[in-house]
Parts: sequence; C-alpha cells; structure tokens
Amino acid sequence: MAETLSIVDLILNASLVVQLVMGSLFVASMASWIMIFQRGFNLNATIRSNTEFEDEIWSGKDWGKIYLDMQARDEGIHFGMESIFAAGFKEYTRMKKQKDADPDAIMQNVQRFMRSAMSLEEERLETHLSFLATVGSTSPYVGLFGTVWGIMNAFRGLATVQQASLAIVAPGISEALVATAMGLFAAIPAVIAYNRFSAQVEIIVKRCEGFIDEFSSILHRTEYAN
Amino acid sequence: MSGNTSYVLPFMLASLLHGVVVTALVVKWPDESFETITSDEFLFLDAMLVEKNPYREKERQRDNVNKKTIAKKALEAVIPDPVENKDEKDQAQIDAERLAMEEDLARELARSQQLERERLERRKNEQSLSLAILDEQEYRRAITDDEKAQAYVAQITREIIKNWSRPPSARNGMEAILKVFLAPTGEVVSVSVLASSGSESFDRSAALAVQKAERFLVPTDARQFERNFREFTVLFRPEDLRL
Repeated sequence: MAETLSIVDLILNASLVVQLVMGSLFVASMASWIMIFQRGFNLNATIRSNTEFEDEIWSGKDWGKIYLDMQARDEGIHFGMESIFAAGFKEYTRMKKQKDADPDAIMQNVQRFMRSAMSLEEERLETHLSFLATVGSTSPYVGLFGTVWGIMNAFRGLATVQQASLAIVAPGISEALVATAMGLFAAIPAVIAYNRFSAQVEIIVKRCEGFIDEFSSILHRTEYAN
Repeated sequence: MSGNTSYVLPFMLASLLHGVVVTALVVKWPDESFETITSDEFLFLDAMLVEKNPYREKERQRDNVNKKTIAKKALEAVIPDPVENKDEKDQAQIDAERLAMEEDLARELARSQQLERERLERRKNEQSLSLAILDEQEYRRAITDDEKAQAYVAQITREIIKNWSRPPSARNGMEAILKVFLAPTGEVVSVSVLASSGSESFDRSAALAVQKAERFLVPTDARQFERNFREFTVLFRPEDLRL
C-alpha cells in the first residue's frame, strides 16, 4: 500500500450497504446524544424544582397561598410535583364549593385527579427513554450487519484473485470493522444513559407517590376533623 | 415551556461532541506505528546491462576510430602539408593553429569526461537519498537488513537483466519504472508500469523481463519480505546503447 489507510479513506471506499449502515449509525448516535443532553437537563430541572417545592410545602405556609402564588408564576403551567399539587388542590377547592359534598367523594376525586396528573408527569419524564433503549440494544446489531456484509464482500473479492494474501482482504475487513466500532460508539452511551435516566425517573415517581399519600392523609385529617 | 427543555442546546452539544470525535479520528488516525507497517521505500533496482555486447563493443571501437580519422582528416584539410610550405613565418602560424585546435579537442574531451563523472555522482546521490528516507526509528535495524536485502536485490537484478531483451526502438536515456508485486514465495503476482518511458514496446519488454523471470529469490524472513519485496519498483534504463 503506497498510501496509509486513513479512516476517511476506509469510510469513503466502503461499499454502499456498509456506508448506509455507517450513516444510519451516525444519525442514531447523534439523535441519542441529543436525547441524552435534553433528558439530562430536563430531569435535573425536575428534581431541582421538586426539591424546592417540597421545601416550600413543608415550610408551614398556607397551601391556598402557595397555590395562588404558583398560578401567578409560570403562566399556570407546572411540571413535576407542582402539577400534581395544582391538580389536587384545584379539585379540592372546586369540590369544597359544593355545599353538600361528601368527604369520601372529595377524597376520592382529589386522589383520582392527582393520580392522573402523575401519570401525565411520568409520561413526560419517560419521553425519549424508549428511543435510547432502542438505540442501545439495536445499534450493535446494525453495526454487526455492516461488518458481516463488508467481510462478505472482502472474501468474495479474494475468490477472484489468484494469489491470495492478507493484504488483499485486510482493507476490506478493516473498513467493515469500522461499522461495528460505530455501532458500539452509538450503543454504549445510549445504554448507560437509559439506565441512569430510568433510575432517576423511578426516584422522581416514588417521591411523587409519597407526596400524593401525604397530601391525601392531610386532606383526610382536615375533612374528618370537623 | 419550562417543563420541556428546548432541543437547541442539546443539539449543539451533541454536534460538538461528534465533531470533536470525528476530527480526533481523522487527525490522529495515521500515527507512527501504523505508518511504519505500510510505509514503502522506493527500492530502485538499476537494471543496467553489465556485460557488454561484444558486437556492439567492436562497433563502438570502429566508430571511435572513424571519428578520430575524420577529425584527423579535418585537421589535415585545414592545415596544409608543412613540407610543401617553405615559409618559416607561415610554418610557425600553422603550428600555433594546430596547437590551439588540439587544445580545443582536449578541452572537449575533458568536458565530456567531467559530465560523465557528474552523472555518476548524481546517481550515487540518488541512491544514498533513498537510503536516507529510511525511517529513523528503524534505522539501526535497517542497516543490517539492507545489507541482506542488497544481496537479494542484486540477484533479482541479474534475473531481470538475463530476461530482458530490448526492442530496437530502445534509446539511451529512456527510463521506465515498473511496480512489481510478489507473493511471499517469490512468485510474480503482477507487474504494472509506474512511469512509462514513452515507448510502448520498451515498457512491454521491461514488463516481459519481469514476467519471464516468474520467480525471484526472496528473503524467507516475513518481515523483511513485507518491507522490501512485497512490492518494489524497478527502474529500467539502458546504458550501453549507442543511440
């Protein structure tokens, strides 16, 4: 070989199928990293706001005042624990306006609204996580497919020459292996991020459930006390 | 919306990351260890005909004699026979002229010899240059390897010369560079013309000379074979032709 084999040459000289595989893996890697950054920022923001909210709620302030403050800020759109609290409190005040409201009915309704708010919240937290899981589990296979295809072609080329030598197949195998490398390059961060984010989502959901329980027990106490 | 962080910053970060990875790969890829494996030094085998064709040699001698006689005749034509000329003054003038002419001839000869020397010098320099190209870190090893390789090179050169029959159109100063690929057993895999001499028949004769040899003696050491004999270039340059 007169010229050294640079990675650019390897990619440019690869067969169309291998190039397509490499291209799709690059796109997958790009997309998964966008998701990783986006999710990372989002989950961090959610955790921070939840902590702030919990501090506020258990600081002994009047909940009605907190609710009004919340409605005034952020144009009434909330996320995390705030949205669950907003949904529950809104339903509670609405039920309270009806004079003949049964405490049991109030409890049940409030709980139902909070549950539905939480499932919405969970859904929002888990967006893109399935994409990361897909990239993490399939891109090694896609890369492997590119490699197998490339090696297949390299050996097919070997069949037509009389003097079989390693130098004839080596570039083909080398370019084929680039596909596997790219597959792993896309998969590894995606898998790590998926595991990390799903664990974080689980923690957030647990804390939200705990908050719902506390909210309803406080509600229960106030309803049945008088 | 504060709930869903926008995608602009993540996109920029992801692009930056991929850009860094790609440039790192592109820039850093051909590192030294990789290069030495694939590096190839141009190994010039000077395929000159060493033994002189006796027929041609004779012809050349005859040619030289002819040239000399022509020169003599020319001298004689200019210079009238001194015996016929009795004038002392004229005689001295003629003598001077003759001397000057002889000096001219001698100068001419010296100049051509000088040119020949320079040419040899240049060739030597070229060879030493190709040696100097050797990678520094492999230099020490390369010296002993080179000595071994030289013997094989000489053998291969002899093989090629033996099989080379040049076409009538071959002229001095023609140069064809051929690239030869060998199998580890020494068999010729393929021959291709790297730099044509301009004459197709000359190129063909050179390629044929390599192909006729079929098999060369190559070092059994695989590393040395890969370095020097897997593929090498041969310079075909007829030196002993009259034209």
